[in-house]
Amino acid sequence: MKNTIKIIASLFLLFVFTASVAKGQDWNVPASAKNKQNPYEASTKNISSGKKIYNINCKSCHGDAGMGNMLPLQPVAPSDLGSQAFLIQGDGEIYYKINKGQGAMPTFEKTLSDEDKWMVITYLRSFDKNKKESKQVAEVVNPEVSDVNLVLDINNEEKKINANLSGVTEKGDRVALQGIELSIKVKRSFGYLDISGDDAYTNEKGNVTIQFPADLPGDREGHVNLLVKVTDDAYYGEVSVDRISSIGLPTDPVNPLDERAMWGTRANAPIWIILSYVGGVISIWGVIFLVLFQLIQLPKMAKNKE
Amino acid sequence: MKEETSNNSRRKFLKSVGISIGAAGVVSGFSLLGAAKAAAQEPRETVNLLTQDGQLVQVDKDQLRPTVTEPLTELQKRGREGIAGKSFVMVIDLSKCRNARKCMDACQNHHQLRPDQHHINVLQMQDAEHTAPYFMPKPCQHCDNPPCTKVCPVDATFKRQDGIVLIDNERCIGCRFCIAACPYSARIFQWTEPKDPEKYKDLTYNIEANVPQKKGTISKCLFSADRLREDKLPSCVSSCPNGVYYFGDQNEDAVTNGTTHETVRFSKLIEENAGYTLMPELGTKPRVYYLPPKNRAFEFNGDLLNEENLH
Ligand code: SF4
Repeated sequence: MKNTIKIIASLFLLFVFTASVAKGQDWNVPASAKNKQNPYEASTKNISSGKKIYNINCKSCHGDAGMGNMLPLQPVAPSDLGSQAFLIQGDGEIYYKINKGQGAMPTFEKTLSDEDKWMVITYLRSFDKNKKESKQVAEVVNPEVSDVNLVLDINNEEKKINANLSGVTEKGDRVALQGIELSIKVKRSFGYLDISGDDAYTNEKGNVTIQFPADLPGDREGHVNLLVKVTDDAYYGEVSVDRISSIGLPTDPVNPLDERAMWGTRANAPIWIILSYVGGVISIWGVIFLVLFQLIQLPKMAKNKE
Repeated sequence: MKEETSNNSRRKFLKSVGISIGAAGVVSGFSLLGAAKAAAQEPRETVNLLTQDGQLVQVDKDQLRPTVTEPLTELQKRGREGIAGKSFVMVIDLSKCRNARKCMDACQNHHQLRPDQHHINVLQMQDAEHTAPYFMPKPCQHCDNPPCTKVCPVDATFKRQDGIVLIDNERCIGCRFCIAACPYSARIFQWTEPKDPEKYKDLTYNIEANVPQKKGTISKCLFSADRLREDKLPSCVSSCPNGVYYFGDQNEDAVTNGTTHETVRFSKLIEENAGYTLMPELGTKPRVYYLPPKNRAFEFNGDLLNEENLH
């Protein structure tokens, strides 16, 4: 009996959920919005900058594009934005949805710039199997290489970091790899600070040179932990180097407890407070004791007079 | 008297070590006590744990108890000193807060608080009649010139070298001077027995989490000082689904967003977004910075009391 009730209840719930899921996916995209076209080309640069923006703003709910690892939200789970079912719609439609949001999906109208939104769409389109014409426009074709090597050269005086990316061809020559994006990061307490800027792509010699921010603190000696890696693991797997270098601004951490302050505990109280308090206590008790002492002396004094 | 307490805590320490030996590294913060009892009852929410001999066991979530494996004296000592070389700051981006209240839940879980007790509270604000309302999470401001520590007669509340203001429940006499002194109403008083006293009763008091809570003493936000020791972000920061919180070390000039895990320059973030602190005119020098609620990522959904509007 109990079981039947349970079954009926769960069937009912299931029904309610399916109904609400269907409702949740109902987007009213006006025809004018649908016609919008992505003004940016599907270049490797645009795709990779779109991926960065995606990872910061979309990934926490939608998961990795194409992986189906979105947050299991109720009643409507976020879509997998790399799936064909999602990419079947036009650029304009996706753009509209990013702008307006619905339900748990926030609006990004003001929080992302137009360019950023289109970059995300460009990135998502790179998963589209049907859009042959918007295939990645590869600006440079690097030869097939193995043994990819990333070499760091740090100039502490000028605070410049130079990274060189190269690989060994089938013929056994070491060649520079061009047009590959690198991420240059500095370790901080709870994560890595990206200092690579907008244009950290290797040039024809395989080099990326960036200026280390002059005012970025290191430890007492200016040491910082640097991490340089090929941004997209899809090219050569994970290629990275880390290095401790004294390129940061030497910074002495301030210890607020070094100073005596009003807010300090007893041991850290300002000297003048300790002195005036102790002085106050001593003088008040002193007066009391003086009076008591003289009271005791009174009979003696009277006797002496007699 | 002192001797006795520390002996007692040593015994507790040994006991908790014995208990937690069953659980493997991932779950070292919890004990398996009572897991067997739970199996007999109706299945509730369970978690999978790996025992040291490599077996996967399912344990009722309610049966998990936090354990601390250091003795009281050590906890008190390091809790008072703080983490050398750090200077923690928090940045709260009001343009993103949509009152999801996940920070409050996480905080109450972490610090043994009932739903009506707040270390952090999301307030509905409206600055003037014609200005737009907004939501504002308000934790302890961990001031650099804290009025609360000035008034404590027994040195129970204090500031550490990393900037965090803590309370020692073992010293607090419950005079509530500090509540009166705090301009941000960040402190709460434990009027009654705290939540789930049974569950926490064998636990050594950890000054960095203020757990177990004690009736007749004060509690407040601690920036999850116990988590910071393990290089983890505070509970509220990592539980926000909307990217409201940034947390980091001012000495490194970097703060990390708890949702996106993006790390940015603290000074740039504050400068570019006109960051401000609460009631600067009091000279309390808060360590919690706010970014104004402009260009909001959502529409304000109005009245807090109206359940339908809650997101
Ligand atoms: S209530 Fe406790 S912490 Fe607050 S001032 Fe009194 S003794 Fe100090």
